[in-house]
Amino acid sequence: MDDAVIVVALLLMAGSATAAVVQRDPARQALVLSVLGSVLAVLFTVLQAPDVGLSQLAVGSALTPLLIMLSVRKVRRRGRPEDGGAK
Amino acid sequence: MKRLRLALLALGGAGLAALLVAACLDLPGFGGRSHPYGTRAVHASLTRRAANTIASVNFDQRAYDTLGEMSILFAAVLGCVVLLRQARDEHRAQPQPAEVARPVRRYALIVLPVALVTGLYVIAHGQLSPGGGFQGGVVAATALHLLYLGADYRALERIRPLAVYETSDALAVSSYLVLGLAGVLAGTAFLANTLLPYGTFNTLSSGGTVPLLNAAIGIEVASAVVVLLANFLDQAVEIEEEHGS
Amino acid sequence: MNGWILAATVELGGGGAAALWGVTTGGPARRVVAQNMTTSALCPALLLFSQGYGRPAYVDLALLLALLGPVGTLVFARLLSDDLAAERPSAWALTWTAAAVGAVVVAAVCAATGPGRAMAKLLVIGALLISGNVIASRALSGGFRGVRGG
Repeated sequence: MDDAVIVVALLLMAGSATAAVVQRDPARQALVLSVLGSVLAVLFTVLQAPDVGLSQLAVGSALTPLLIMLSVRKVRRRGRPEDGGAK
Repeated sequence: MKRLRLALLALGGAGLAALLVAACLDLPGFGGRSHPYGTRAVHASLTRRAANTIASVNFDQRAYDTLGEMSILFAAVLGCVVLLRQARDEHRAQPQPAEVARPVRRYALIVLPVALVTGLYVIAHGQLSPGGGFQGGVVAATALHLLYLGADYRALERIRPLAVYETSDALAVSSYLVLGLAGVLAGTAFLANTLLPYGTFNTLSSGGTVPLLNAAIGIEVASAVVVLLANFLDQAVEIEEEHGS
Repeated sequence: MNGWILAATVELGGGGAAALWGVTTGGPARRVVAQNMTTSALCPALLLFSQGYGRPAYVDLALLLALLGPVGTLVFARLLSDDLAAERPSAWALTWTAAAVGAVVVAAVCAATGPGRAMAKLLVIGALLISGNVIASRALSGGFRGVRGG
């Protein structure tokens, strides 16, 4: 019966990982990725690996979204130079 | 040509799949009762009075692996610094401060010290409870960036002298190496946990060199993440390409 | 399996599936709201797991999620503010429901823990979770304006 928890966590994990791959827009991908990170941390907890879960939470909840979104902003700014430049 | 490439890919994929299946068939059952490696690791960590076996594995039994991981992070951040530096055809523009709603700004300013302390707590309790240098270092570095989210980038730049973080990153890496070499000088082996008394079980100073190596990793990770994010922020917020030149 | 783990599984399955559904469908506003709700769905589950497994050290995971989850949402609120300005995503009914779930879970785990330092830590987690959730919702519904370059 304890396995039910693991099955639920694994299903969520598989669902969010597939969703992250299927998204095409990087910003939307980052949103799914941050959900995926939290689910992954819970999966690690359920598998009794709290150290790995903590690493995943620390990196996945704020740092990875920040890095991805900063890159997205840089790329978008390069795409329309008349907006940000010449000030 | 394309067909040949596809055939090669199919061949390689089939080989990999066969090997993976063969390896999976030999794996021990999921969640079994007997863990030969786990039992030995727990025994070794208890003899060195480290309450968190994972910390003992990371910073004592497999401290050499952690040295490699630390070098990977160091090299990766170094690579980012080189790649994202300000090039000759780019200039810096002062970003306009954003209008942040007052509750959001207050929240960021209140949570910043809380997150910083939590990061230090996670680093300091690495050998006692889940966590350690890496996790705590990332949390502490993320905490600083609440200043960017809650105020603006210039506020963050004011409390973040980048040279200090770059230096402390390098110093933390060297201190890990020096702690390892100290073992050699003391007559045992590189990174051997024989230098310091093991202390009382389940206290902050227990585990011999484990808390010291843990702290070195904590400083290294926190500084590395700050430097990494600084380069990303510079590129995303300040650095602009020269136009029409 | 005890009652705590059962409750955590229900919370994880229901909250996680709802958040996943929200974050993969619809417009940007709906997606960021769902991303914010992930924290409020999973953090109580982590607290319940810690209680269910009888391992107080696992509470640290809930602490980190309650701290950093809203920070992640602030990242999206700030860096996607242009996309969100048109829609002004606001889901206050959902936000307060999530806050109430968090409060109930924290109260239940506190009652099982009894007074002491562990309970103080749980209360801090609860305060961080609820305030973070509310503030992140506030940030999404027009908390950042005029983010140009900055």
